[in-house]
Amino acid sequence: MSIRRHSVIPGFGLASGVAVTYLSLLVLIPFTALFLRVGNMGWGPFMEAVLSPRVIASYKLSLGASLAGALLNVVFGLVVAWVLVRYPFPGRRFLDAIIDLPLALPTAVAGVTLTTLYSPTGWLGRFLEPYGVHVAFTPLGIVIALTFIGLPFVVRTVQPVLTDLEGEVEEAAACLGAGRWYTFTRVVLPTLTPALLTGFALAFARALGEYGSVVFISGNMPMKTEIAPLLIMTKLEQYDYQGAAAIALVMLLMSFMLLLGINLLQWWSGKRYASK
Amino acid sequence: MKIEVRNITKRFGTFTALDNVSMEVPSGTLVALLGPSGSGKTTLLRIIAGLEQADAGNVLLDEVDCTQRALRERGVGFVFQHYALFRHMNVFNNVAFGLKARPRGTRPEKVEIHERVFRLLRLVQLDQFHDRYPSQLSGGQRQRVALARALAIEPRVLLLDEPFGSLDAQVRKELRRWLRRLHDELHITSVFVTHDQEEAMEVADNVAVMDAGHIEQTGTPEAVYHHPSNAFVHKFIGDVNLFRGRMVNGSLRLDQKEAESGRPNEVFVRPHSFRLTQAPDGPDCFQATVEHINPARPLVKVELLSEWGGAVQVDIPHQTYQELQLERGMTIYVTPTQFKVF
Repeated sequence: MSIRRHSVIPGFGLASGVAVTYLSLLVLIPFTALFLRVGNMGWGPFMEAVLSPRVIASYKLSLGASLAGALLNVVFGLVVAWVLVRYPFPGRRFLDAIIDLPLALPTAVAGVTLTTLYSPTGWLGRFLEPYGVHVAFTPLGIVIALTFIGLPFVVRTVQPVLTDLEGEVEEAAACLGAGRWYTFTRVVLPTLTPALLTGFALAFARALGEYGSVVFISGNMPMKTEIAPLLIMTKLEQYDYQGAAAIALVMLLMSFMLLLGINLLQWWSGKRYASK
Repeated sequence: MKIEVRNITKRFGTFTALDNVSMEVPSGTLVALLGPSGSGKTTLLRIIAGLEQADAGNVLLDEVDCTQRALRERGVGFVFQHYALFRHMNVFNNVAFGLKARPRGTRPEKVEIHERVFRLLRLVQLDQFHDRYPSQLSGGQRQRVALARALAIEPRVLLLDEPFGSLDAQVRKELRRWLRRLHDELHITSVFVTHDQEEAMEVADNVAVMDAGHIEQTGTPEAVYHHPSNAFVHKFIGDVNLFRGRMVNGSLRLDQKEAESGRPNEVFVRPHSFRLTQAPDGPDCFQATVEHINPARPLVKVELLSEWGGAVQVDIPHQTYQELQLERGMTIYVTPTQFKVF
């Protein structure tokens, strides 16, 4: 058995060599270093660093807020992509260009801006305050920040698939007596599922690692609004490099499991009609 | 179910796709809309289905005006050129879609859906493929699935938009015969769009020839072929030679002098409506040289160059070909036996 099979596309050896080197330098070596750093820490101190109530609370917050943000983006990203693809309207190009801004903006700028807007005296916070809705310095604020930075991922993954979706398929469904909602849930949505899953995974992964925009709006209260990346920063500032690495490792493993799960889901939903 | 189209006009911007078109499709017949691309045939079909709204005019199904009725209430089966199958569903679920989409009250039982879908799959000879996905089927099979899917809702009318347009020649011919048989079995009023005249002639009970947003002629294939009502239909249907000439005292004059004098008419002669002789034969005949001969057909195809330099295509039986001992470069006399002057 050989990996190299005869192919009309040349350069498999060279291309795979470059790919492996590139991935090693950028991803594998740093991760290995992280493992090694944790490795000479010892089991007891590791468990202590990783399982303290404050750290557990931060995991919960980070995972929960990232999931919430990614889910919000799946729903509203789909709506945005739908509008951008299906309806020609003045200013569409402009709106299309705005989508990528959260990626380009320094995250600290986004964080400060969101905090100013949603603080109890801010432009938006002022109207929410009387109803008892507190955004700044609460988990809700964190979700908003994470939604903001994750927005482009779902829109950009769904958009091309939606463009490719032929209108004829929807016409066929309507001819067969299906209502709009039935057509959407049974015909359009299943076609978009793989793209939505990809967008979800990207937005989620991005949110898990996000630091800059969150620290301003969260208020960083231990046990309440302290995200895991912030805890890592705190440990680093206290010269507790091993503790920081231990938390990072746990975060890494958790996100890896989640992303792996999403990939499996995608493989399962895509294999049925991938060969076109 | 009778289909009636009354004074339909449809514009796309400044382009008039249909200009005051009226047509009737008697119940239980199979009618072909035949025309070159851009003639408006697909637009007319989509308006009948309700996929497109006409700017003016009405669509009547069994004397009931359906112009304002929503697409899914019309009970129309539609087959698309590119199949438009649901890629993420297997063949069974594609065909069952229309039944499962019904509101709870009118939706058949699961067992009944299963039974009906398999009856249709047997009809289109795909029952052993029920769990395949569209990507695993050939073009002809996909179109048959699309047809079964359209028939599943027991439509009152079946509309087909270039159903065989994206299939190769062999499969086309097979599916064409098969559609005809299917229609003879089900007797569902059907309209299909095509730009392939052979297809229209072979399958349809009636043919409507369309050009530039108008219906030029409606009739049986025989009537349209043998009695075209105008120059366009004659040119479009079947092979034809076009001459410029005139009738002078009851005889046809096609020579160069007549063509240039005054206002000549258009004279149409089918390739098989010529008599070839070695000597001049009556006042209608003209002289020509043999340019090319193709005897590898049911009728020998002879290409001639007329005395005034025009190409003429003639089909003659093999027997005549041997009697005349035709060869390239030979001079021959040609007499139109049947022609049409417009």
